[in-house]
Amino acid sequence: MAKTELDHVTKRYTERDGSEIVAVDDVSLTIEDGEFLVLVGPSGCGKSTTLRMVAGLETVTDGEIRLDGRVINDLPARDREIAMVFQSYALYPHMTVRENMAFGLEEATDLSDAEIADRVEGTAEMMDIDRLLDRTPSDLSGGQQQRVALGRAIVRDPAVFLLDEPLSNLDAKLRGQMRTELQRLQADLGTTTIYVTHDQTEAMTMGDRIAILDDGRLQQVGTPLECYHEPANLFVAGFVGEPPMNFFEVDLENGTLVGQQFEYPLSERTLADVRDHDRLVLGVRPEAVELVADAETPRDFRATVDVVEPMGNENTVYLAFDAGDVSETAGASADAETFVVTVSGMRRVEAGQQVVVRIPEDAIHLFDRETGEALHNRELETAEAAPPNF
Amino acid sequence: MSRETATSDSVADRETASDDRSDGRIDRRTLASVRRVGLYAALLGLVAFYLVPVETGLVTSFKTSEAVRTTLPFLPPGPGGATIEKWQFAFGALSNGMVNSMLFTVPSTLLCAILGSMAAYGLTLVDWRGQVAVLALFIAGIFIPYQAVIIPLTEFWSVWVELDERLAFLWALPLLEEHHATILELIVTHTAYGIPICTILFRAQYQTMSWEMIEAARLDGASLWRVYRRIVLPLSVPMFAVVFIFQFTQVWNEFLFSLTIIRSVSDPAASVTLILSGLGEALEGVDFPLRMAGAFVSALPTLIVYVLFSDQFAEGVRV
Amino acid sequence: MRDELRAVVERWRDRGTETGGDGAADGDGATKTDGGTETGGDTATDGGTETGGDTATTGEFRSERSRIRRILDRDIVQSAPFWLPPFLLMGFFVYAAIGWNFAISLTDYAGFGSIDYSELGFENYRAMLSDPAMWEATRNTFALLVGFTLVCLVVGLVLAILLDREVRFGRTFRTIYLLPMSLSFIVTAQFWMWMYNFNFGIVNQTLGAFGLGPYSWLGNPQLVLGSVIFALVWQFSGYTMVVYLAALRAIPNDQYEAAKVDGASTLRMYRRVIVPQLKPAMVSASVVLVLFALKAFDFLYAIWGYRPRRGADILATKMIREAFNKQEWAYASSIAILLFALSLAVIAPYLYQQHRQGNL
Repeated sequence: MAKTELDHVTKRYTERDGSEIVAVDDVSLTIEDGEFLVLVGPSGCGKSTTLRMVAGLETVTDGEIRLDGRVINDLPARDREIAMVFQSYALYPHMTVRENMAFGLEEATDLSDAEIADRVEGTAEMMDIDRLLDRTPSDLSGGQQQRVALGRAIVRDPAVFLLDEPLSNLDAKLRGQMRTELQRLQADLGTTTIYVTHDQTEAMTMGDRIAILDDGRLQQVGTPLECYHEPANLFVAGFVGEPPMNFFEVDLENGTLVGQQFEYPLSERTLADVRDHDRLVLGVRPEAVELVADAETPRDFRATVDVVEPMGNENTVYLAFDAGDVSETAGASADAETFVVTVSGMRRVEAGQQVVVRIPEDAIHLFDRETGEALHNRELETAEAAPPNF
Repeated sequence: MSRETATSDSVADRETASDDRSDGRIDRRTLASVRRVGLYAALLGLVAFYLVPVETGLVTSFKTSEAVRTTLPFLPPGPGGATIEKWQFAFGALSNGMVNSMLFTVPSTLLCAILGSMAAYGLTLVDWRGQVAVLALFIAGIFIPYQAVIIPLTEFWSVWVELDERLAFLWALPLLEEHHATILELIVTHTAYGIPICTILFRAQYQTMSWEMIEAARLDGASLWRVYRRIVLPLSVPMFAVVFIFQFTQVWNEFLFSLTIIRSVSDPAASVTLILSGLGEALEGVDFPLRMAGAFVSALPTLIVYVLFSDQFAEGVRV
Repeated sequence: MRDELRAVVERWRDRGTETGGDGAADGDGATKTDGGTETGGDTATDGGTETGGDTATTGEFRSERSRIRRILDRDIVQSAPFWLPPFLLMGFFVYAAIGWNFAISLTDYAGFGSIDYSELGFENYRAMLSDPAMWEATRNTFALLVGFTLVCLVVGLVLAILLDREVRFGRTFRTIYLLPMSLSFIVTAQFWMWMYNFNFGIVNQTLGAFGLGPYSWLGNPQLVLGSVIFALVWQFSGYTMVVYLAALRAIPNDQYEAAKVDGASTLRMYRRVIVPQLKPAMVSASVVLVLFALKAFDFLYAIWGYRPRRGADILATKMIREAFNKQEWAYASSIAILLFALSLAVIAPYLYQQHRQGNL
């Protein structure tokens, strides 16, 4: 068990043609003892490279990685007391499950054969794979292999668990099961865990905190709800949440946001956050938009339903602003801005229907259009009252 | 053709009596079976092409010198013209060479396989800069014509090393004789020139091994050596079979090193290929039955290996 | 080591705070205690210098050790025990030998005494240019290379296509076609000498049945090279077949089916869809075949000894003859360099291409 720190960690590769690629760019991150941290980002964002640097499978170009205060940059992988679960499970095909699990103990510890056998059997029981101990990996189903891979990591009682997209090879149902089971296991063991995934559902549901990476740079670190409700920038706002946040390019003119097809007045409180910025992006979560009976406030807009995707528990509704309703700036309705709203599954909405949408001011996010930085996030008191749908 | 059409017609009738498209189907079926007959005829013709020289050699080796002149070369000898005398003679002449060839082929095959596997591991499953350059030298090493190294090689063994003198103290020991120095030279030589191909053969397999598995083993605390011993080696057993078979055949069949390092057919270290090259030559002409018998005797070990392990051999030559 | 250090630090800390909190400031501690009581100062300075010195040397030692460790931990160093010994053994016998051979080719060594490296020159290479036998050997070498490689590629392709699809006993056929490959050049030479025998050989007897021949296959300078190529094709076409078969197996079944659905005849399917995909296999097979042909010495030697019949003398046989028969070592080594250059001309582009495609 250990606190893991990444201190201005950078990884640069030199390509064959001599050009340099920065895979991880100045990432600083502290994972507390016993914490479950999820590293998430689109593919190629450097999350796996970060994990592999912690494991000792990649060298660190710049910066320090510390385990309980000890710099481990130059420590070979096998001396780091780290166990890793790979995407492909990486089981040794010529060994039985028992031998697979015992391998690390034989190589890295001085335990006697009897102690090793004890620990292997104990862990196998806990993981519910004790019936599989004498089979070889080729005789196991994908889910069983996954359990063995986890068991192999757990049996070593490492200081840190590293998991590299461990669930991505499982089918959807099994993935859901393993998600909860992994969380339970981690809570029981209390081992510091770093979990890499590109799947934002896994990120939102599993981690104590999530760290969002893009293009090698750390975008935000926080609890899942922080990242959801208080995104640090446009990237995080767009990456977290499904369906994603709606974005509208707007200009701030005399305290009013002027978009392509609508105008949205801001209150003084919100204006205070965006002073000195006039090129903005307005963001609003699909579930924050309300469908109301009639346009009563200046923040209500007429729109037409384009497509409805019934999900059962909710409906995902794609809408377009009505051209007629909009000010003189939007002449062409061909490139009408569309946006997404989720409403209760019981509510009847049909394609072609005219509706009125209300965008409450306490639910809007405002970002600087140039830097992407968040200037104003939604107010959280109401957010807590209405938990989002994942 | 017509009979075939008739039979398939009746078959088609039984199957789909009222199918009006059956005509076209018959045509296609006939065509397919004609094509099939042609295919097998071609394949069998090729079998004849590849086996006739071998078969001719085999029947000839059992003929008396008289029968060779009076019977067709590919037909077996008549009852009066058959003899196993040539085989007996060939065995006598080649037995010593067989022993010598075994003495250098087996050790150098083993060494090549082990060294090749280690080199492939160091060059494939461990990632480091400059690997490609070293690898290119290994690959080029496969293709070097031996002529380009043969003079320094003989110079090295006969003038610089002189193993027979350096190891003189050994020849007093039981079972060891002076000509074993030459055998030792051949072992080293064959090993050195066999390493590149063995390395590439193993590398082809190691490239397909999962990187993550190797990394998992290293994270599990295994040193490079332990990863090799406990993970890579057990998984390369099938490739060892391929390399053993391929390299055994190569070394056994090799001739140029025998010619230049052993030099003389009458040398006590003479290999089987060297002796065979001079077998059955006499002033009155070539004794073909003896040569054929000799060819079979000397090819016997490789033929046995080939027939038993043709799949592994095919894999070995493919790279 | 670390526990010891901690113990020392703790002992020192217990002595009181005025001697300075940390060991790094040992100079400060010493001056301060000078002013204090004698005994206290003594022990304190002792303790101070001790710890200070200790941490300093340990630190130095550490960084030194970690630098060495870092070097030792590098994968190139760690993996060296695996690849370096085989590499050195192979490198000495292959690359050092080639260098040595080149040195010998610059001398005039002819078998008397030891090699004299004091006077080096390109005399042998000049001699090569004016040696008519060299030109003939070079021409024969190229004829052999081209003829043998092309015929092998074609025959191997035919064999592979015949065996590619749903042939019963396919493995048996393959085993038979590949069989000659397992024989040594010396053995195949025996078989073909008998096949080509003027009076009793099968070839002449078969042709005789059609009223042709007899021909002196291994005597007529116009025919010898063709006879040799034919025998070598017999031996090595199985190799080409195996290479093609592997490439054919790698083509997904869908493509055959797609071509069939598109209505292509079998012949057209192979010509338009399949064969173009065999190009990489063809390239690598021809590289290997060319090098087989460069090594065809064994076969020729087994038939004719050091001096092949006119029309069949190639560079490989000439080189060995000059050296081991005529003792013209230096001249022979210059021919060896030419042979090496020829094979390099084949391998180098191949390796470069493989490297560019990332296959190395």
